Amino acid sequence: MMPRARAFVTAVAVLSLIPTPSQASLHRNETVTLTVFAASSLGQTFAILGKAFEVKHPGVKVEFSFLASSTLATQILAGAPVDVFASASISEMARVKSLVPDMSIFAANRVILATPRDNKFHINKIVDLNKSGLKWIQCAHVVPCGVAADAALASEGRVSSKPVSLEPKVSSVVAKLVSREVDAAIIYHTDFIANRDVLKEIHFKDTAAAITRYPIGVVKTSAHQPLAKAFVATVLSAYGRKVLAEAGFLRTK
Amino acid sequence: MNRKRLDTFNLVFATLGGLVLLLPLMALFTKVPWATLVTRLTNGNAMAAIRLSLWSSLLATLICVILGVPLAWVLARGSRRFVNMVRPFVLAPIVLPPTVAGMSLLALLGRNGLIGRYIYDATGWSMPFTASAVVFTGVFVGMPFLVLVVESTFRHLPSDQEDAAEIDRATPFTLFRLIALPQSRNGIATGALLAWARALGEFGATMMFAGSLPGLTQTWPMQVYFETDQDMSTAYALSAVMAIVAVAVVFALRKQLRRAFTN
Repeated sequence: MMPRARAFVTAVAVLSLIPTPSQASLHRNETVTLTVFAASSLGQTFAILGKAFEVKHPGVKVEFSFLASSTLATQILAGAPVDVFASASISEMARVKSLVPDMSIFAANRVILATPRDNKFHINKIVDLNKSGLKWIQCAHVVPCGVAADAALASEGRVSSKPVSLEPKVSSVVAKLVSREVDAAIIYHTDFIANRDVLKEIHFKDTAAAITRYPIGVVKTSAHQPLAKAFVATVLSAYGRKVLAEAGFLRTK
Repeated sequence: MNRKRLDTFNLVFATLGGLVLLLPLMALFTKVPWATLVTRLTNGNAMAAIRLSLWSSLLATLICVILGVPLAWVLARGSRRFVNMVRPFVLAPIVLPPTVAGMSLLALLGRNGLIGRYIYDATGWSMPFTASAVVFTGVFVGMPFLVLVVESTFRHLPSDQEDAAEIDRATPFTLFRLIALPQSRNGIATGALLAWARALGEFGATMMFAGSLPGLTQTWPMQVYFETDQDMSTAYALSAVMAIVAVAVVFALRKQLRRAFTN
């Protein structure tokens, strides 16, 4: 009887150590965490804007999740605890309309063909992708950078080769290009700007087809509505636009 | 076999543990669109991804057996100092996160990799973004599981037959082939099953090393991942079929599993 009773006491003791949600949130009250889901291509600029926001709002910590907008939209629809969503395409924002009813367009970007400066295939125009033995990659067809790449390629025509991989997000594409695992890749102009010391870019003829627009909005279920709105305001502010423009994003009205 | 009595503590926690393992799988099956299951699996890239995953993981398992069984034998027979030094490196991939496994493979066989650079310069061929990269990743992450189980099996073999064979002056290889191998069938089958399961389920390292191209390197788990952004029902359908395969394989090999673990 004694061992059984002791085992029961141990079990109760272990279970009581697990904090209940209300206890957990009491301890966290000193700093507020604002969770921002942002397109993979916004990684560098939003990191800068997040730091600036934390300086202006003491006691606030901004946490980012940078993934493909399509992946983030799926997570938001599945109930991810998020305050702000910044998407690399209007259609991914439209998928979460029930949870993010209002949006503002804050930037635009265009996909380009990028290649390492010293690549042995000497890629100078889009059709050079047809060269035999050349390996190139792009984003998956469901990801905004892939949607833009598909549109730009379709409008360009004449490219008959296929990418050797469809990557889950643009930052994976950039990483594989910069590490020279591939000879060329379709990435954003902003990714080229961030790596222009090692890459060169080739523009698509139809610039309109290659463009994608970036909407941002507050998630309806956010517990930090005023703060979330303040973060969106920072992105839309003159300072926010300056940071984005310096990274190579196109201005929008 | 007489039934032994059980205490409340173990019964309660065993029930909780069982539920943790069982409920997610049951929940998965409630989400499957049974009526449209077949069309969802035959449309688009699903079948190509399933085919790729099956053949590449089976080939990876075969390579794991061919290389891993001798490796396990050497570890079971080697001097204690040698084995203690080598075994951690053999088993390390079990502990590595898939991303680190992917980085390691790129570091070795990428275009700028330790070996990959020379292969690329000499032939213009590099392993990343090919189906062989899918297989190689499966071997890398799967083989440690096989070695772990098979080495333990070899160590627990009864020594009487071996002693008799040695008196009859059997060569070391004959001993391995005619005495050790037949007695270790269950252990090898179990090790191969674990290696296969690991190779089949591989996702992160494969996506980093082999990329993701439908029909060539986009595996079944990758297809599930991309499908969640497009069509949840198809993602559930693909997941459920994988769960069925997993349960079926474990069920089919239940005798081997039991013998390998009760040896």
